Order: sequence, then structure tokens, then C-alpha cells
Amino acid sequence: MIKNVTIGQYFPGDSFVHRLDPRTKLLATIALIAVVFVSTGFAGFAMIAAFVLLTALSTGVHLKFLFKGLKPIMFIIIFTFILNLLFQQTGGVLLQFWIIKITTGGLKMASFMAARLILLVVASQLLTLTTSPISLTDGLESLMRPASKIGFPAHEIAMMMSIALRFIPTLMDEADKIMKAQKARGANFETGNIIQRARAMIPLLVPLFVGAFRRADELALAMDARCYRGGAGRTRMNQLKYGARDLIAALAVAALFALVILANRFCPF
Amino acid sequence: MPIEIKHLTHVYMPGSPFEARALNDICLDIRDGEFIGIIGHTGSGKSTLISYFNGLERAKPGTVFVGGVDLGSKDTDLIAVRRTVGLVFQYPEYQLFEETVEKDIAFGPTNLGLPPEEIERRVVHAMQLVGLDPSRAKKSPFDLSGGQKRRVAIAGVLAMDPQILVLDEPAAGLDPAGRHEMLELIRDIHESGVTIVMVSHSMDDVGKYCDRLFVLSHGEVAYQGAPAEVFVHGEALNAIGLDVPECAKLAKRLRDAGFDIPMDAYRLEDVAGYIIDNIGKGRRGA
Ligand SMILES: Nc1ncnc2c1ncn2[C@@H]1O[C@H](COP(=O)(O)OP(=O)(O)O)[C@@H](O)[C@H]1O
Ligand SMILES: [Mg+2]
Repeated sequence: MIKNVTIGQYFPGDSFVHRLDPRTKLLATIALIAVVFVSTGFAGFAMIAAFVLLTALSTGVHLKFLFKGLKPIMFIIIFTFILNLLFQQTGGVLLQFWIIKITTGGLKMASFMAARLILLVVASQLLTLTTSPISLTDGLESLMRPASKIGFPAHEIAMMMSIALRFIPTLMDEADKIMKAQKARGANFETGNIIQRARAMIPLLVPLFVGAFRRADELALAMDARCYRGGAGRTRMNQLKYGARDLIAALAVAALFALVILANRFCPF
Repeated sequence: MPIEIKHLTHVYMPGSPFEARALNDICLDIRDGEFIGIIGHTGSGKSTLISYFNGLERAKPGTVFVGGVDLGSKDTDLIAVRRTVGLVFQYPEYQLFEETVEKDIAFGPTNLGLPPEEIERRVVHAMQLVGLDPSRAKKSPFDLSGGQKRRVAIAGVLAMDPQILVLDEPAAGLDPAGRHEMLELIRDIHESGVTIVMVSHSMDDVGKYCDRLFVLSHGEVAYQGAPAEVFVHGEALNAIGLDVPECAKLAKRLRDAGFDIPMDAYRLEDVAGYIIDNIGKGRRGA
């Protein structure tokens, strides 16, 4: 049921990566995503994969969690793989029967695309596994701040995100409780056709929304009472500061970038 | 319909970094017609425990039997179990959703597939049991006061006509008058022949109303027995974040000072009676 969902899947820890500034991690993740697209061959991919795996190992996060993120997009990966395999017709023929013709070029292209997707997901997974949602939004706000000069509501967006992140587990909890309470009154959420199931959600959704509005009201009042008035002139308790380890991380990512570009140049695969 | 629980253990989110053992090897039994109190500090596992009473959670490891039916078995008809064991959650007023009080109370019996006349009869009866004025039947439950909403929610469970009624902190968040009314209401329901299991963290409340208590601490049954038997462990109860009723404390101090007050006196009326008996008699041996 709703149980066992960890939002943002943050895995608490105290490793080098955990203690990096969230801005560094955000930028590094963007750089990793970029380098995945820059790489034109499997040699580059192998380097990126080695980099991601080694980093993941150093964080103490179980590798199982790293690959969990692949599950929801497994279908897309397989679909892309098959499409490329069937419709890319270059190089020598590997296999041919009926209207299906599989070529070496097709196989290469299909594997390339699948590897690219997997690397993209796993690399961004590394960010969400090692960064708490709150420090992630802090980092985002800080990175978006220059844009607020041209009227972009950086602070407001970050505040909305952190409130949403803060309340998602609360709402899930509440949904779980209400569901149990209605089940205790004989409600049935599990069987029936689609219309019956949609109707069965009413006893869950009405109290959930009523509760969400009540909470929103209370929160707004509490923020008001503590003189919250948006981002202008607001200081923060935990200032984000770049340190030596952020420099090390930046250099490591830059080195990876350089290696991948060299691999593109000199390695035929 | 007795409830029998053996070696029940519950772990939240096993295998994750947030793993929490909420219940540990719980054994307990509840007999017909009893008024049971389950007490414990916040987080001691009370709410988790009661969600096993009507099969909202399936025991593993451990067994839960209600009236001889194994709730852990896949073949058990859970709707039948939920008809027998009514569960009123903490702050049940937050589960109301219908347009009118009447419709909300009818939700349970409707799910049981009862005929309309029977549903109608049960709604009227349940409203009467919880002391709701019939003129409120057509009102929106969202327009009622907190205490009234809670009565509607309890009526909604009573309309299932359960033989066992389990209430999680039914008096939480009510003012002293509302609290007293709520507890008296539960006593009335008990007297109408329903077995009651009341979860609470107030020793005063359970001491006043319950026949038998189970004291939970860190997911285990720390003490059990009649209130007098439990209140004997005054200091030990303090250590697990609970307090004995004020009257039991007074009785103990008088007893320690040499007055003749039996160990099982903890109710206001009893203790007052013994104090009156003692007046003029003086201390033992004095
Ligand atoms: N949905 C949940 N997920 C994880 N842990 C939970 C959940 N519900 C309760 N717990 C934990 O289980 C323990 C027992 O909780 P609970 O049964 O609600 O205690 P009580 O009702 O006595 O306050 C607590 O430590 C609590 O933090
Ligand atoms: Mg509780």
C-alpha cells in the first residue's frame, strides 16, 4: 500500500559526498548528465560508469538503492533498445528471419542508447540518495538567486518546494490513517471496476483535502505570526559555504570530462 | 468473542535505514464483556497494536485470533471481522466525509450491504447511543463542534453493530467536561453489552473505568492485571513515563504514614470512604 515510500529517497550518511555543498552536487550532477551526452562511445561510458559506481561505493549507500530508480523506466529502456535494434540498419547482418533483420550497427546503437539512459538515471539517483530534500531546495534557491534580479521568484519557488517536501510524508501518513479508518468501516479500496474504485476514493480524498487545507491554514498563520514576508532581506541560519572538498569534487568531475573527450577522440568504440 | 494475541511482533519499514520495532513479542487476551485499558507512553506501540484487532495488519510473526478465527489466515473474511470488531481511531473526526451526519454514519452499514430499513434503524440507534440530537441528522458533519464530530465518528463505527469496540485515545484533545462526557458515554456503551478496549495514556481515566489493564512500554507488555495490581508498581510506572492516579498516590502516602488503607484502594470514592473510616481511629499501633 502506501507504506515504505521514502520521498526523495534520501539515505542519511556522513560520507565525503554527503557533506558536499548541495550546490556542488547539483552542478556536478548537471555536469555528469552533460558528459553522458558528450560521450560518443562505450569507452567514455565505461569511464562514467566507473566514476559513478566508485562515488556510490564511497557514500556507503547500498548499490541496490542506486539501481532501484531504474525500475520505473525499465519499460522505456527496453522499448528504446528494441526500436533501435529493429530499425537501425547499418553494418553487417547478424541475424535475419521473416521481416526481422538485426545488424551490428543496430545492436551497437541499441546498446548505446540503453547505456545512456541507464547512466543518466543512475547519476541523478546519486544526487537524491545523498542529499536531503531540504538541503537540495536550499541549493536550488541559492543557484537560482541571480535570476531573481530579473523578477524570477527564486525564494518563493524554493519555499514552496520545501513546504511540499516537508508535507508529503505527513499527507501520506494521513492518507494511510484515513484509509485504515474507512477500511475499519468496511470500505473496500482494492476490488471492483474502475468506476467503483474511483467512487471508493471519495471517503479517502474528502478528509485528506479537508486536512490539507486545515494544515495549510495553520501553517500560514504560524508563518505570519513569526513575521514571514517572503525572500526580500531574509537571512538564513545555515549559510551555504564552498569548502576544499567542493573544489576536489569539481576537479574530479572536470577530469572525468577531459578523459571522456579524449576517449571520444582516440578510442574507436 | 474473545481476542487472543500470541507472540506478535511488528517492525515498521524493515530493511530500510528507518526500521522501527513497534511491537515485540506481545501476548494478551481479552474476554467477553470486559472493559480493557491499554496504556503506555507516546510511541509505546498502542496504536500499532490495535490495528491488528480487526485485521488491518496481518500478524507475522505471531497470531491474532478473534472469536477463534485466525486473522492472519488468507481465507478469513475480513469484512465479517470488521463487523465484529469496531475500531475508532485517534481523532476519528478527521475521517468524516459525507454531506450529512446521517449519511456518514450510514457508510459502515451500507458497506455491509444491509437493507435500507435496517441501515436507517441503525443510524437512529447509533445517534441515540452517542447522545446526538436527532435534529442533527441532516446537518453537515463539518458544521459541528469538535466533540460532536467525534460522536458522529463513533456512531459511524457503532452502526456496524460491533461486539467489541476498540477506541484509540477517545478523550484526546477534549476539554475536561467533554472528556468526562466521552468517558461516561463509553461506559454506557459498555453497559449495553459491548466489550470495550480503550487506549489511553491517562492512568486516572483507565483507573476509573477499566476492569483490566495492559501497560505497554517500548512495544512490550510491561505490566498487566486489575488496576490495583498495576498501580502497585508506582515507581516503575514513573520510570516508563506513566503516573498512577492521584487517589492511588494519596492512598499510598497515607498507608506509608501508618493509616489503615488497603492496597487495592485507588478510586476516589473508595479512598474517601477509607479516610472517613480512619478519622478518629488514629494510626495503627499509635
Ligand atoms: N507509519 C509508521 N512508520 C514508521 N514508524 C511508525 C509508523 N507508525 C508508528 N511508528 C513508530 O512505531 C512506534 C509505535 O507507534 P504507535 O503505535 O503509534 O505508538 P502509540 O500509539 O503508543 O503512540 C513509534 O516509535 C513510532 O515512531
Ligand atoms: Mg497512538
